[in-house]
Amino acid sequence: MNKNADVVVIGGGAVGTAITYYLAKKGLKTILVEKKDYAEGTSSKCEGHLAVHDTEPGYFSRLSKLSLDMYPSLIDELEYDVHYKEMGIGLLCETEEEVEYAKKIMKGKIEEGIPARFVDQYELQQREKYIAKDILGYVDYQCDSQLDPMYLCYGLALEAKKNGAEILNYTTVKDISLNEKGEVEKVITDRGDITTKTVVNATGVWAPEIGKMVGLDIPIRPRQGQILITERTSVKVVQQSYSEFGYVLTKKGKKRSSVTPEMDEYGVALVIESTPADNYLIGSSRIFGDMNTKNSIEVIKAIAQRAMRFFPILEDINIIRTYAGVRPSTPDGYPIISDTKVPGFYIAAGHEGNGISLAPITGKLISQIICGEERDIETKAVNFSRFQENN
Amino acid sequence: MSEKKDILVCRCEEITESEIREAIRNGAHTITDIKRRTRAGMGLCQGKTCFKLVSRILADELGVKAEEILPQTDRPPVRPISFKTLGGDGDE
Repeated sequence: MNKNADVVVIGGGAVGTAITYYLAKKGLKTILVEKKDYAEGTSSKCEGHLAVHDTEPGYFSRLSKLSLDMYPSLIDELEYDVHYKEMGIGLLCETEEEVEYAKKIMKGKIEEGIPARFVDQYELQQREKYIAKDILGYVDYQCDSQLDPMYLCYGLALEAKKNGAEILNYTTVKDISLNEKGEVEKVITDRGDITTKTVVNATGVWAPEIGKMVGLDIPIRPRQGQILITERTSVKVVQQSYSEFGYVLTKKGKKRSSVTPEMDEYGVALVIESTPADNYLIGSSRIFGDMNTKNSIEVIKAIAQRAMRFFPILEDINIIRTYAGVRPSTPDGYPIISDTKVPGFYIAAGHEGNGISLAPITGKLISQIICGEERDIETKAVNFSRFQENN
Repeated sequence: MSEKKDILVCRCEEITESEIREAIRNGAHTITDIKRRTRAGMGLCQGKTCFKLVSRILADELGVKAEEILPQTDRPPVRPISFKTLGGDGDE
């Protein structure tokens, strides 16, 4: 198999399939190379929240909002049903300090044009009959939504194919060769070579391996997260999806007074997502380390305890499975959506826990960067050159 | 020739043989790939009942031996466990 392409995208997760879709739509001859099936890496080991609720006001928040705004029309373009559900996500507050901090963030978000409102304890009790009585309320981020991340990958890939893209699943990139000027020349796979001048590295937590092939040091490291799956239950545990405000705090590495030492150590914060199948997905944890995707009893126990603290009704509901994934995290918490000093080599990786939310805007921005078009938002904050000491 | 009746393979999620064959023809190469694409094995028994049957279909489609098909990733719990039991002090 020897082929040629305008662009080769490496990585068949949400980010890679989105990029392939946007490039193919522009009429570029695009080949997606994925070492296994779609969503094999992180996009099948996460939750499906599309979120602006987990960031403070600023560039990341604005980038997320742009991406979320793209979803309704993108969903219309996809033939595949990705179980997209617009319903808002609530950020639950446990203490007065959290309420105060959450309201402050909310104010900044509203100024950015993000619809949000604080729902007090009384109204929370009216809406959610199973919530612990002492939870003080939540910030309702009404533009947040959810979908099935795996189906998103299938849907984007299928649509990319209809637009002329070629997909090579179960194909491993062995090397990338550069010409004498140092420009991208060829992608070498275990199934043959692809001649191309343009490569996009969308391999998330595996991005450093691909970067090495062209002499780049990409500072992405794995951050593990574990999730529980409940049995299908007719108990309507929640009317919408929630995270606890502590999730925002753990992302910032802040200590919380209200949790056990284990929860603090493993960065455990409640995330609860209802699914169309009536299973609930319950997270979350944050552990920096290696590529380990195994579950550990200490962590899933702490997650179960944290979930019961908010929703005591869960006590008698069964957990049928657990899973764990590694999120690609960067030193400053921002993704990399950028060209590099290697002509023809682009990076779209390091989205940590926001890859599903940011997939559409990432796909669109990369296509704009490659084609030299005006960008939907300036990309200085996500440029790879910020890690200059590495490169 | 009468039309062959479609067999229910995953009883928990009610996934049929033809749905599984279609997933494989769309690119699924492993038990996990099939699970993600069809939900076969995602139910209460976590594939304990249908794993062998799915393996046989996969082996048939890929032209390999059923014994060569690897099971899905082992994950806790071994059988359903309540939040109370998992999150408790281990007395139960």
